[in-house]
Amino acid sequence: MSKCKVELAYQILKELHGEVVAEIARHLMKFGPRHIKLISEVTQLRVDQIKKGICILIQHNFVKFDRNKKGVTEYAINTDAVSLQLRYPRYIYCAKTLYGDAAELLVEELLQNGQSLMSIASERVTQRLNEALEATGNPKITSSLVRDKFGLMVKTHFLRRCQTVLTDDENRVISSEEPKETESLFILPPLEVGSKRKRNPDGSGPPSKRSKTEEMDIPPDDGVYWMVNVERFHQYFRDQLIINCVNSKIDKQAGEIIRNMLRLSEIKTEPHSTVSATMTITEIFHSLPKELGMTKHIVEQYLSILTEDSVDVISKVCDSSGGLYVINIFRVLKSLCQAHIESFVQERFGSKCLRIFRVLILKKHLEQKQIEEYAMIPTKEAKELLYNMFAEHFITLTEISKTVDHAPSRTYYVFRVNIDQVARIILEKCYKAAGNAIIRRQMEVAKHKRVLDKQERVDAIIASLDQAGADEAQKEEIKETITPPEKEQLERCRTTVNMLEQSEIQTDETIFIIETYLYYSLLNTPIK
Amino acid sequence: MAASVEIKQEPVEGVDLETRIINLCQQNPSGINEETIKDDMPQFDVKQRVTAINRLLSTGRLEIFKSGSKLIYRIKDGQSTNNQLKGGDNQEKLVYQIIKEAGNKGIWIRDIRYKSNLLMTQLNKILKNLESKKLIKAVKSVAASKKKVYMLYNLEPDRSVTGGAWYSDQDFESEFVEVLNQQCFKYLQQKAITAAEGKSDPVAQKNGSYASSSEIWTFISKLGISKVQLAVEDIETILDTLVYDGKVEESFLEAQSGDKKRLYRSIKPLIETAGLMRMPCGSCPVVDQCREGGVISPITCVYMKDWLS
Repeated sequence: MSKCKVELAYQILKELHGEVVAEIARHLMKFGPRHIKLISEVTQLRVDQIKKGICILIQHNFVKFDRNKKGVTEYAINTDAVSLQLRYPRYIYCAKTLYGDAAELLVEELLQNGQSLMSIASERVTQRLNEALEATGNPKITSSLVRDKFGLMVKTHFLRRCQTVLTDDENRVISSEEPKETESLFILPPLEVGSKRKRNPDGSGPPSKRSKTEEMDIPPDDGVYWMVNVERFHQYFRDQLIINCVNSKIDKQAGEIIRNMLRLSEIKTEPHSTVSATMTITEIFHSLPKELGMTKHIVEQYLSILTEDSVDVISKVCDSSGGLYVINIFRVLKSLCQAHIESFVQERFGSKCLRIFRVLILKKHLEQKQIEEYAMIPTKEAKELLYNMFAEHFITLTEISKTVDHAPSRTYYVFRVNIDQVARIILEKCYKAAGNAIIRRQMEVAKHKRVLDKQERVDAIIASLDQAGADEAQKEEIKETITPPEKEQLERCRTTVNMLEQSEIQTDETIFIIETYLYYSLLNTPIK
Repeated sequence: MAASVEIKQEPVEGVDLETRIINLCQQNPSGINEETIKDDMPQFDVKQRVTAINRLLSTGRLEIFKSGSKLIYRIKDGQSTNNQLKGGDNQEKLVYQIIKEAGNKGIWIRDIRYKSNLLMTQLNKILKNLESKKLIKAVKSVAASKKKVYMLYNLEPDRSVTGGAWYSDQDFESEFVEVLNQQCFKYLQQKAITAAEGKSDPVAQKNGSYASSSEIWTFISKLGISKVQLAVEDIETILDTLVYDGKVEESFLEAQSGDKKRLYRSIKPLIETAGLMRMPCGSCPVVDQCREGGVISPITCVYMKDWLS
């Protein structure tokens, strides 16, 4: 795993779950699948601590366990899943925009707990919602509403069942695996509202003990654990990227057309294919909502514009049944990734460098003199910019010699850009930057710890006074214990933390695009 | 008696031979060779022919050329050359000839040496002589600034030597290029805005925002910001740089007359600044040395401090 990614994962885990878990995770990321004894030897942690840490990691679906050939259970970590924690706020926000507050809280519950039963999660969310609604004076809601939302999200594949466990002969769990048919991941368990089975107490205990033992209510869907289906969220984000790209390139109506096309082809498209399924123009036209008021003629025109566009969003496959169109997902992703790379080059090296970079991308390979000619930049300046970029490995150099002895005066030196390589370089920088943002944020909070603690105490006192029903004057007095310079400090701390958190999320957007592009290009490169 | 007759005859024959040769040359303007002279006047032997030809060459009536391995003689039309080269010796004439052959591309001093087989010092003297007589001039090449090419005084240097419209006195005019760049971009942006407001049809909007290179050329010429007369190809190179900047996109149109018209229109960028670049780590020059607990670390980072305050 890349060093920066490991560091980033370590920082995230340290913040969310503590030092011990982070240490275990880092060890597993560096050395691969291990079993507990080895981990404890290297990290110098006690075995019971390690066990607890691994429990947490398994609960959050970061670690998988398996029995290796020698019969020992080994634990392996999935670094990608760990670094996805940066994206959790985006998932929650996405659920909120699509399905409302209840969905938002459900996703938050599931992300916080890793895996959960449907009934328990729904109950907790109902509780939280009711508390909030009471505070604002609205009527309470029943848990059936929340359960419906849960069911809706399962149907649209945003939530899924956890992996099934495999047991060996003695009924001990040895490993988990994905179920064979993906459809079974999304089957809701049968559930009646309010029913709870009572666990049959063991017949071995004496009757007196039976009455003392609490009757444990087990929920009716025991054993069926649910988790967030990040793949689906990623697919949704990818679609949003395509729609935004079309919005900015052409206009909003074209974006609407693309949105409908994506929705149409969602079910038929294979996951991770470079192009979507084919759609006829009549299907597209009928799927558009009536409010947009677009006639067939306008739809045709937009489709022709989209086909001719330089980004190549859609292509016309053939003319049968009025015209068959596909969305070129991979090409759009490539253009977006390239746009990010270009933005990076522009901010870091300057606009003239951007011109040289784009000349090389468009013309594939050029000699130094030709670059100067095309870009219309004076020789000295062009040389400096070109060699700057070369030193940072954004450009590669190929030597083609005319003679056998490779003399420099008789050799062509040809520059070119390798997009995949540059994308990976930028990805590394993104990981580093996100890690740095987290470290800095923690430092800022630690710096202002005293004032933040004071503020918390004041808030707690005011809340307790509220409940006891004190008057305004007392509250004002308490509030005034925080002096103006301290208030300023607090403000500054708040803005700093906000800025750093925002930059984490924005860097994560870049990470998402580049990772998706690299994933698609790896899947779809022909192996020679 | 026979001997005196011979002596008397020789000079007459000698002059005769020269005029005969000149007549032959005038009859064949593309040149005659040894064979033709021999066939025409078989009574003269090699020595007489050689003397006659040498005399003609030195008086400048005849020119000698090499075709393959044979020598060809042509009549010289040089009225002007006669005036200029009077007083010059053979070497100067040779050098002058070589420079004249190079036309308006000019020739490098080393090439003159190869062709004439003269010594460096001698050649330099000759070149200085010719320059003072204002017969040749030295032009600095834009490709290699130390290189000087020589060409005839009254010839205009070729574009490849001076670099064309973008170079004035061997200096690349980057400001001029920048100004033209911005003007073209503004024109295209304006066109796109008017097209978007005017038409409701998306295809018509797109077509309306296109401008052909000749349109932009007329616009720029009318603006009059350039002292030099610019051709359509020059404008096209400027528009290409806009394409490389990512601000303009290009497309082709086949006109009825069969030649391709190039169309350009301005486009908005695909994304705003990438997320990574909105924090200092993106453009940090020492990001490779930054690690936790090091001298350069996120905790002590100066760039972050400035950015956060």
